[in-house]
Amino acid sequence: MGQDTSQPISRRSFLNYLLGLSVVGWAGSVLFPIYEYFKIPPKRDDEPTSVVAASLKSLKPNQGVIFKFGSHPGILIMGIDGQLRAFSAVCTHLDCTVKYRPDLQKIHCACHGGMYDLNGQNISGPPPRPLTPYKVTQRGDDVIVSRT
Amino acid sequence: MAGTPLARVMGWLRERLPIDALEEFASHKTVPKYRGSIWYYFGGVSLFLFIVQVTTGILLILYYQPGVQTAYESVRFTVVHVRFGWLVRSIHTWSANLMIFSVFVHMFSVYFTKAFRRPRELTWLSGFVLLLLCLGFGFSGYLLPWNTLAYFATKVGTAITATAPLVGPWLMQLLRGGKDVGAETLTRFFGLHVALMPAIFTAILGIHLLLIQIQGMHEPHGWKDAPPAERRTMPFFPNFILRDLLLWLIVLNVLAILAVMFPWEIGHKADPNAPAPLGIKPEWYFLFMYQALKYFPGKILGLDGDAVGVLLFGLGGLLWALVPFWDPRLPSGARNRALNWIGIVVVAAILVLTGIGLS
Amino acid sequence: MSRRALATLLVAGALALLTSLLAALIAVPADAAPAGVDQCYTCHHDGDTPQALAYTKDVHYQAGVTCADCHGGDPTREDKDEAMSPARGYRGKLRKSDIPAVCGRCHGAGPSEFHAKFGLTDVADSLAAGAHGEALRESEQGPQCVSCHGVHDIAHVEDPISPVSPGRIAKTCAGCHADARYMRDFNPRLPVDQYAKYLTSVHGRLNAQGDPRPATCVSCHSNHLIYPVKDPRSPVYATRVPETCAKCHSNPRTMAGYHIPTNQYELYRKSPHGVALLQHSDLNAPACNSCHGNHGAAPPGAAEVVAVCANCHQANGELFQRSAHRDAFAKRNLAGCVVCHGNHGIAPPSDDLVGLAAPAPCARCHVDGPSDPNAGVIRHMRALLDSLRTGQVNADRMLDRASQLGMDVADAQYDLKDVHQALVQSRVAIHSFKLNELADAIHPGIGVLATARKSAEDAIHDYYFRRQGLAVSTLIVTIVAVLLYLKIREIERRQRERDEC
Repeated sequence: MGQDTSQPISRRSFLNYLLGLSVVGWAGSVLFPIYEYFKIPPKRDDEPTSVVAASLKSLKPNQGVIFKFGSHPGILIMGIDGQLRAFSAVCTHLDCTVKYRPDLQKIHCACHGGMYDLNGQNISGPPPRPLTPYKVTQRGDDVIVSRT
Repeated sequence: MAGTPLARVMGWLRERLPIDALEEFASHKTVPKYRGSIWYYFGGVSLFLFIVQVTTGILLILYYQPGVQTAYESVRFTVVHVRFGWLVRSIHTWSANLMIFSVFVHMFSVYFTKAFRRPRELTWLSGFVLLLLCLGFGFSGYLLPWNTLAYFATKVGTAITATAPLVGPWLMQLLRGGKDVGAETLTRFFGLHVALMPAIFTAILGIHLLLIQIQGMHEPHGWKDAPPAERRTMPFFPNFILRDLLLWLIVLNVLAILAVMFPWEIGHKADPNAPAPLGIKPEWYFLFMYQALKYFPGKILGLDGDAVGVLLFGLGGLLWALVPFWDPRLPSGARNRALNWIGIVVVAAILVLTGIGLS
Repeated sequence: MSRRALATLLVAGALALLTSLLAALIAVPADAAPAGVDQCYTCHHDGDTPQALAYTKDVHYQAGVTCADCHGGDPTREDKDEAMSPARGYRGKLRKSDIPAVCGRCHGAGPSEFHAKFGLTDVADSLAAGAHGEALRESEQGPQCVSCHGVHDIAHVEDPISPVSPGRIAKTCAGCHADARYMRDFNPRLPVDQYAKYLTSVHGRLNAQGDPRPATCVSCHSNHLIYPVKDPRSPVYATRVPETCAKCHSNPRTMAGYHIPTNQYELYRKSPHGVALLQHSDLNAPACNSCHGNHGAAPPGAAEVVAVCANCHQANGELFQRSAHRDAFAKRNLAGCVVCHGNHGIAPPSDDLVGLAAPAPCARCHVDGPSDPNAGVIRHMRALLDSLRTGQVNADRMLDRASQLGMDVADAQYDLKDVHQALVQSRVAIHSFKLNELADAIHPGIGVLATARKSAEDAIHDYYFRRQGLAVSTLIVTIVAVLLYLKIREIERRQRERDEC
């Protein structure tokens, strides 16, 4: 039986060519996610044990700044004596966010007038417990706040 | 000798390795084509899913951190922040479930086609061990995300091992790494899941596959007596392999569809002090045993009901594993209808119990 | 014998008989007198000693207690030196610090004939265990039995003449506790105005009219075993004040005739104040005395209620005082905060308190209709609160679900805290009853809700991006699968052709 060499062969090699191409395409669609997977994600820890709260340059005495500590706000205070203190900024009364009052040199909650001193102690108003204290360390210009 | 680069590489290898002999051996391997041929594919699908598990598992290990404070958080980090982390994780979980389903189908298909008979008893035994290891993979891996469901399902599951007579409490403490499910359990399960069991599994899988290659595919009942014209076969290489690969490709896409359309949840981090959520139960592949145990009364003849149940299951499993040895002793002859009925009852029981457990 | 000798003998004998008879009549027998004899009392009473004269009316005298039972000595002896001899236990005037021990011989733990006969209890040990006992151990001037009960003329507790009877006990306690110089030697921090306040209280006024039922000092502080107020065992320790007041005020029989309710304690216990104090031991939370006063206990008048509540609820009070409701309520003699929130059974406040239909208290004065120009304001305020609250609930739920599915919602959840803050502050701002002030408090929250919704939508878009990626890869797989299938068919066709040749 004579073989019609042109049609079947070219169809076969055409099929092979297409198959090869599509397999390469498929391999790419599998390898691309794997390649992306190896890329180091930006450090986005949802509940970190420590954060860089602020840079030393940006802080002045008698100033407080709110920073994000995981999913909760924290407050970093540079006292009038230059000493750094940090606490959880979640008021122990009804979870509002507290603020530093430079005029009183105390931490104040605007919701119901709760007051905390610079040791985090609840000294006036409805808060039933002190603020959770955090540890403050300095690394160069960075102010690092971590859980105690 | 000149030729394509591939041919030159192959030629170099041929001078050093018995590739020619292997090719010769492989070219003779055939697969019977008959009504039941479709079941031949489930072994391959199981193998494929195992490869998927190893691959996705290795990827997950890059970011997973075992430990009560870090396990859940690292899984969450992988799923939320790592590029395509959600995909790898969901494929791993879906593939685990599909693999267990597939090995059960594979095992039952071998049972009903009596492929475990001489000379394939060892293949059956090694396969049974692989099945148990699969269940072990499922149980140990389930705990690793350390979410509420995982924690309490593990608590319930390990508590049941304690009811086994004599060795029960010792076995439970061995599994848990202590009296309660805790940090030690997690590290223990992690070591089992990613190191010990994969090593054992791979070794036994190698034996299983080697036996299949050496002994050839099982032929259906009455094959040898049929006229040559009706004994249709296809070559293992390349026909069966290509068909296998086609199926594997489709299975991979099914996994991707499942991972995107029905992603696995992260859940909430386990709180050992919280009460167990209502209706906590093990994963679906353990449900039939869990549901069956519920029907055992508290005390049977003075013995603990659960202990009797566990013992019966152990006995049942042992008998099932030894089927190649007691099958010939049954009087029903080669077709062995009795075996079929036993198998149907077992499958039905598993399906019904699982169904009840799920509802 | 002669007749003269016989007569002498007869007379001598008669004389001897007479003398011995007389001697028998006059002479005192050598041994003890009959039982219950109190020669001390007899002698001193005859001598008009004031203590003995007073002692006649003393309950102890009537019970048969002799002077020697307290002062020692031998009550059976007439002779002073024998009766008052230290060898027989006489100790004379007792040192003040010894008094409780002496009284305690009967009014203490030990069994004595008087214990069973009169059903006495161990008050000496109670006194020693409490603050008064402590004070006495520190100083001779400290309080002991005699300080309150008197001596030698002790009347029964319920006898109106007793200094510890209900009608007189307050004055007795005030004898020390209102004396600043005396109290300074024991506890300089204790106030000394309790009695003055008590006289202004309802309890004190009724007591002054002779009513024995209202509370006196010992009703709340107890009489012998008095713990300092800061000691958790004291009935007036912060967390125990409500149950102490309730001992009378929840008892319908005790309160019969006074025409005030007896369910305050039951209501208070379920209120946020009660829960905070009694279940969470939050000592900041108010008890009965925080609003009513403790020594000067009286309910605040309608006009004073706001000032009392504002002691803690400062912001709400200030807003109320400059709101239109202040004068409106005063005109109708309505007690400020109590009108909407109740006094004892304060329900946890909810946005349901604002509205034009029950259970909102606004509906009691404001009418839902054109006649009331404020109806629209009330409706508007309620709508603002509702929108923020339901918006927060929905956002929380949506983000939690997305988080469980593995979407990145950490930033949105952090921002949602501002919504919570806006809600808390709006529920304070409502007490101004001014629409614009409420809107100012609510507005920041609405803004955050919008960004949270945007975050959720972005997460959903990410979700859909995945589906698009899936569609692309499925397309590629389909193409490969079809081509592969064609390839298989082609191979098999060639094999068939080869076999046929």
